[in-house]
Amino acid sequence: MGNIFDSLVQFWQFTGFANMTISHIIMICVGIIFITLGIVKEWEPLLLVPIGFGIIIGNIPMFPGLNIGVYEDGSVLNTLYQGVRMGWYPPLIFLGIGAMTDFSALISQPRLMLIGAAAQIGIFGAYLLSILFGFAPNEAGAIGIIGGADGPTAIFLSSKLAPDLMGAIAVSAYSYMALVPVIQKPIMLLLTTKKERLIEMPAPRVVSQKEKIIFPIIGFILTAFIVPSGLPLLGMLFFGNLLKESGVTRRLAETARGPLVDVTTILIGLTVGASTQADKFLTGKSLLIFGLGLTSFIIATTSGVLFVKLWNLFLKDGRKINPLIGNAGVSAVPDSARVSEVVGRESNPKNHLLMHAMAPNVAGVIGSAVAAGILLSFLG
Amino acid sequence: MMKRILTVSLVILAAASLRAQNVIDLIISEAMVDNTSSVVDDFGEHTPWVEVFNTSQGTVNIAGCYFTDDPSNLTKSPIVKGDLRTKIGPRQVAVFFADGDAAKGTFYLNFPLREGSTLYLVSNDGRTVIDSIEIPVGVPEGQSISKFATDVKELVFDDIHAAAPSPRSVNGKHNQKSKAEIVKENDPHGYTLTIVSISVVFLALLILFTIYNFSGKVFSGQIKFRNPFKRNTRAAGVASLPAGGCDEEIALAIAMALQAECGGETEAAIALALHRFLSESTHDAEPFVITIKPRSSSAWNDKTRIFRKQPR
Repeated sequence: MGNIFDSLVQFWQFTGFANMTISHIIMICVGIIFITLGIVKEWEPLLLVPIGFGIIIGNIPMFPGLNIGVYEDGSVLNTLYQGVRMGWYPPLIFLGIGAMTDFSALISQPRLMLIGAAAQIGIFGAYLLSILFGFAPNEAGAIGIIGGADGPTAIFLSSKLAPDLMGAIAVSAYSYMALVPVIQKPIMLLLTTKKERLIEMPAPRVVSQKEKIIFPIIGFILTAFIVPSGLPLLGMLFFGNLLKESGVTRRLAETARGPLVDVTTILIGLTVGASTQADKFLTGKSLLIFGLGLTSFIIATTSGVLFVKLWNLFLKDGRKINPLIGNAGVSAVPDSARVSEVVGRESNPKNHLLMHAMAPNVAGVIGSAVAAGILLSFLG
Repeated sequence: MMKRILTVSLVILAAASLRAQNVIDLIISEAMVDNTSSVVDDFGEHTPWVEVFNTSQGTVNIAGCYFTDDPSNLTKSPIVKGDLRTKIGPRQVAVFFADGDAAKGTFYLNFPLREGSTLYLVSNDGRTVIDSIEIPVGVPEGQSISKFATDVKELVFDDIHAAAPSPRSVNGKHNQKSKAEIVKENDPHGYTLTIVSISVVFLALLILFTIYNFSGKVFSGQIKFRNPFKRNTRAAGVASLPAGGCDEEIALAIAMALQAECGGETEAAIALALHRFLSESTHDAEPFVITIKPRSSSAWNDKTRIFRKQPR
């Protein structure tokens, strides 16, 4: 009888209930909130549902030493997590993004690329603020990249510059990407006048297939020569786009934008979520990172919109740009372009800004990869 | 034949690139003869030692290479194969003890290191000297002969002098401070890095803008290059269509007229696509377009269906 009781006590010590702390409960609640937002509100469900579930997986209280945790060498989760830690997954996602993205909007209106550059000010604004709050330069660089609104880039850079902060940075980046419509819309309305929101832009010209094929080759060579440290991201992005546009590699393009990116998204979401173990995640630093991430998003949106307003001062009527596409300079594709479209149509139902906004949006992807490359070369 | 030449060239190129991350990337980075207070060997003794540094970014296996202090006998002290520890990671070091007793283990040389001699590291072919270090007489007590990198980026170890021993750690400036620490020192508030980085992002996208602005003008016909060798193969009816800067307006006019007449967007889209294809030969090849080509033959008289392919 005594043996049975001892065994039950021993078993109890192995259960999650015996090892549970208030931090675990908080993190599990966070995971449930993520899943709820993804399913009920449909905010980036492809990201929030895996991350949310990953947070729950990572925060099931357990007896250490069972070799099952994400931070325990050789466990299944640890093996899958290597893709995040070593930075394998982000370039694969970029390959998929490249194979999905139509750069026609950008090719037909190359001037809108500069909006994509302006929005990257958010990254460096957050970098300055992070240093002000006492973070080391490499940590500040990793935090700043949240402002690029690009989850894979944020993971890639933080895995190189500040691996300890990667969980908080990745969750912060993906959370704010899901909240793009909530964060950007009020800023856009606040910074623009009714008259500015009504600006109609001329229809973009038709882009030939030849131009679409040349774009990724020239684009890659140029950007990679300027920032070689961005090679994994830029290379995969433009290679994916070449697969899409070449017309002769349809199967490869379909795999890249379909099964490959789906599998990688599942793995990256789940493992990033699982990496947010309460003892490593629930710290004052994480909260600060969330605050700085939000600030960088706000700075990025603001600088994009204000840049267009400033530019308009020098443009003739008929060539003016609707400042509502300024927010799309962040690289949350296509969510931020969709926000431009929605807000634009609220002011003028006939004014479709989506195609115009896609130009700075995809330029933002390139811009954030370039910015990540610069930070890596200075601080890595 | 051409394919074979290409394949062979690719194999040679690949082999050359592999060679680039091979034993030739190893250097003798440090050596100490009079070891009284530095590192001890596996038997707890202070013996002379030599440090090998892998300058490449890939792992290099030193097994099969040789150490010697005699140029006439390059294979004097072989490094045994089959020990996993002989793999030296990128920018990592391995320390060998040189007291003349190679039977002690993998990392022991079969000759003692002496002042006034030159130590050579020989490749696994037994002929090629990879690197050497001269150990002068009169090295100050407690010091080793170390190679330091004057060019941190290229890791050119051309500064050789006696210094405090640093076995099992990389010599040179690059080991002292991380890039982040240097940035913190030189740019404590981050203003310089911010300005430089924003400028580079703008520059990159500005260059792209310039190129695509130009190429856009070329492709839309605003800038034309004459090709004297190009034959005019357009059909007579199509040749009369004006090309160039007014294409957009004409296409738009046709589309609008069709839209007004037929009230159908399909017709307008077809007209626009046809016009652009005939006047500029541009074809917006979207994926999943099925092109139906009429076949003159049926399944019964089509040679491609009734004849078997010739085996290669």
